[in-house]
Amino acid sequence: MFRRTLIKAAFALGFAATLLPFGGARADGPDAGAFIEKLADTAINTVADKQLAETERDERFRTLFVSSFDLPTIGKFVLARYWKTATPEQQQEFLKLFEDQVVLTWAKRFKDYSGEKLKVLGNNKEDDHTWVVDSQITREKGPPIPVQWRLHDSADGNFRITDIIVEGVSMAITQRQDFASTMQGIGGKMDSLLSAMRTKVDQLKAAG
Amino acid sequence: MPLNLIGKFALRMGAVAAVALLVGCATPPPADDPEAKADFDQLNDPLEPTNRAIFSFNEGVDKILLKPVAQGYRYVVPPFGRDRVNDFLDNLKSPLYLGNDLLQGNVGNAGITLSRFALNTTFGVLGIMDVADPMGLPGHQSDFGQTLGVWGVGEGPYLVLPLFGPSNPRDTTGIAVEWFADPVDIYLEDQHMKWLSWTRTGVSAVALREQYLDVLDDVKRTSLDYYSAMRSLYRQRREAQINNGKDPSKYAPPPKSVMDHKPAPQKAASFE
Repeated sequence: MFRRTLIKAAFALGFAATLLPFGGARADGPDAGAFIEKLADTAINTVADKQLAETERDERFRTLFVSSFDLPTIGKFVLARYWKTATPEQQQEFLKLFEDQVVLTWAKRFKDYSGEKLKVLGNNKEDDHTWVVDSQITREKGPPIPVQWRLHDSADGNFRITDIIVEGVSMAITQRQDFASTMQGIGGKMDSLLSAMRTKVDQLKAAG
Repeated sequence: MPLNLIGKFALRMGAVAAVALLVGCATPPPADDPEAKADFDQLNDPLEPTNRAIFSFNEGVDKILLKPVAQGYRYVVPPFGRDRVNDFLDNLKSPLYLGNDLLQGNVGNAGITLSRFALNTTFGVLGIMDVADPMGLPGHQSDFGQTLGVWGVGEGPYLVLPLFGPSNPRDTTGIAVEWFADPVDIYLEDQHMKWLSWTRTGVSAVALREQYLDVLDDVKRTSLDYYSAMRSLYRQRREAQINNGKDPSKYAPPPKSVMDHKPAPQKAASFE
């Protein structure tokens, strides 16, 4: 009982802390760690809100996801050398399918959410426009899972996530290699890739 | 690694596979296509056709045997019971963890492993309760493949081993060395209780598969090419474990990426 209260108190404090950097401009620049804390909080509140209808919840999750991640940049990185040779229409469709695939993947992961907490530990500047936020996910049982977030700033000075690194495994690199392998298997044909992605997105939708 | 039981069988399978390896090499891309060449080198999988064949074989074994057994185990044994099994098996590996901590020159981790072993074997009733974790001594795993990595031995080409799954020459060496050097197995053999080693390996395989049920389903569901996703995950994970073995006190920097990190022109997140 006491522990639960403690956790709640810590969570409330954490929440309050995240509000501060957004209250006004700070001398030491924007805080990438606060951005991640606030994002995790909003995501958890969204999926945990039992008042919402399923479709409404999915819609909100998608909006949040698309506005916090730089999906076009990630998509281009994942498609690697095939981006340049794709036609503008293929690029367009690729980005749409990529968004669906990523959003559906993470929506499902969040549906399995069972009370884990995200704790931001620190935040390192990699270069002028890139930050890496160190965090950990703590569970009821077992050691905490280290999670790192790579972000860059957008034109208006806010953040967008470009990669999530879980226990040293980069989601973007994993996907890039998955796509490279798939392309190898189908002789580098963009239309075949798009059709494989359509199938995958349909499967993910069906699995809900 | 915990799969000693199938180890003997696997070694024999490995011999067969070794012959197959000589045959099943991937054709490197032509030299006049530098981008394809870069992809080929990046994936580090010159034996891909053979690896894929062994991967499907493993998938078959998993589908008809290991996964159903692991699912049955999860269905029958409640989480509390499974935690006891996992804690017990983990404690049995303490001598190996300790040896590797020391070989990695990691005295801090060795101290933690030793304290955990002492506490869990006594107050934790032969290791079935991890009493050390709530006392601020969380567990970690270390293995000989990781130790070789900390010493600077490279991974070599990616390999899929029969039954053991994703690996490479370095980690295969690690599995083989631990198979011969595990003090618990040596003791059991000395006591003419080899069957206990085999039982332990079988139970470990099922317990490990149970822990990975959801993760592997997720990878399979979300990837375009399951084989490739597993290869990528394995290689990155091992890299991180080796970096962590070198310096567990801090987060290793994430893998470098050549992503274009120019400021994004889009409208930023507002959380409204």
